[in-house]
Amino acid sequence: MDRETVERVARTAHIKLTEDEIRRYGNDLAEILTYFELLDEAPGSEERGINPVEIADVLRNDEPRMEIDPDILLKDMDTYERYVRGPRLS
Amino acid sequence: MSMKSVLETLESVNSKYLMFHAKTSDTDAGDAKFLFSAKDNLTSKDMETCAGSRILEGYFPAFDATVIAKMREAGGKLIGKTNMDEFGFGTFSTNSGFEIPRNPYDLERACGGSSGGSACAAAVFEDHVSLGVSTGGSICCPASFCGVYGIAPTYGRVSRYGLIDYGNSLDKIGILSAKAGDLRKYIGVIAGRDERDPTSCVQPELKNEGRRMKSVAVPKEGVEGLSKDVEAAFNNALEELRRMGIDVETVDMPSLKYAMPAYYVLATSEASTNLARYVGMRYGRQDGDYTLKFDEFFSGVRSRYFGDEAKRRILLGTFTRMAGYSDRYYSKARQVRQVVIQDYKRVLQDHDAVLAPTMPFTAPRFDDISKMSALDNYKADYLTVPANIAGTPHMSVPCGYGSDGMPIGMQFVADHWDEDVLFTMAEDWEKEFEMKRPEVGA
Repeated sequence: MDRETVERVARTAHIKLTEDEIRRYGNDLAEILTYFELLDEAPGSEERGINPVEIADVLRNDEPRMEIDPDILLKDMDTYERYVRGPRLS
Repeated sequence: MSMKSVLETLESVNSKYLMFHAKTSDTDAGDAKFLFSAKDNLTSKDMETCAGSRILEGYFPAFDATVIAKMREAGGKLIGKTNMDEFGFGTFSTNSGFEIPRNPYDLERACGGSSGGSACAAAVFEDHVSLGVSTGGSICCPASFCGVYGIAPTYGRVSRYGLIDYGNSLDKIGILSAKAGDLRKYIGVIAGRDERDPTSCVQPELKNEGRRMKSVAVPKEGVEGLSKDVEAAFNNALEELRRMGIDVETVDMPSLKYAMPAYYVLATSEASTNLARYVGMRYGRQDGDYTLKFDEFFSGVRSRYFGDEAKRRILLGTFTRMAGYSDRYYSKARQVRQVVIQDYKRVLQDHDAVLAPTMPFTAPRFDDISKMSALDNYKADYLTVPANIAGTPHMSVPCGYGSDGMPIGMQFVADHWDEDVLFTMAEDWEKEFEMKRPEVGA
């Protein structure tokens, strides 16, 4: 896989790569994708289900409930005045 | 070995085999009826849960996974969270961000992956059951390498609530144990509908009729590329099955060779979206630099704490889903999954199971694994991925030992929801097969 594509994919995936990683992953992915060309000759199917078995939508009653106390969840989070801390947006 | 002596020697046994990432410090089993361990991608209230990833270091979940809650309700005491490949990404458990479990039959060799620590615990401790998770073969592969029984039930049989996702359309929680009877017993404990996982809510009842196999199909594609030891042990096992009165027939399953690339496309596509949630906020590592803009902050944490194989799979999965490529890879892989399912259904009309060796070789040495390329690693999974993309229940049973003394396993694949026939096979096989337990010293 060429350098430009590796960098574009990494940017999309929020991964920063070193020079060595760009080269190494580029080679690995090229080798893997060459092997995946096997898929081009594989038979297709009209069926394209997402899951291997049939799944029905099962919805619970729309009643508000709280199973885990938010304070327990906040305990291990980096917070500021009960707000979860995150990075700047701009 | 009593529960008390297991607990008292836990520390020293673990320092030899490195099966646990986190473990109990209790030396008294209290009212417990049995001890169990769980793969570290299952959330547990009282133990750190990292799924083998440094990005989750310090994560203490506020809730138990449904399977852990059910095992506790049945009287189980959780003694440890088992080491694994990071997020399940591997065949040898060597892609762990923490400790790499050692094979109980030879400490210089791998336990298999990604539920390597679970297979190790099942082999080392007497009367021990371990919860494993399979996405592409992560229960059967380590079961085979460590000489124990392992079953991954039908996709949707066991609730995935509290499982740290790898590939949502592929992940299945199952059981590893040195005792065949534990498969029926503990799948019975953890199976069932759970409103917290809608995919578990359409399942038919788990049968316990003791239905016996009359006929197994051995696909030609499943006996190619085997090591001499595996081939010999498998042929002996086929003879034994015939002696047990089971018909063995060779069949063609041409779709199997497409399963490996289809699996890696589906699994990495799903993994790359699932792993988007790890950005250094809310849980696990939260030591990013808040002076940075969000893009840089997220990329910094992810690049620092994801391991080598996690990055590789994120890149591969992101690529195969990208505009311009997704038709060729992701859409085609979804079609191939259906073709593989149809191939199994066709063969299982006339047979009770599809049978092949679980892995093409015995547990490799760590120094040999380090020489393998990424593609070499993926190719090693060609026997286990077909049943996994098909969502069909599959089970590895020990069937022999190589000239190197290492265990060899064979894998039965049954039709969707037909775990019963696998349980019965394991129970019958256990009576015929002489298992050699590893010599365990602390």
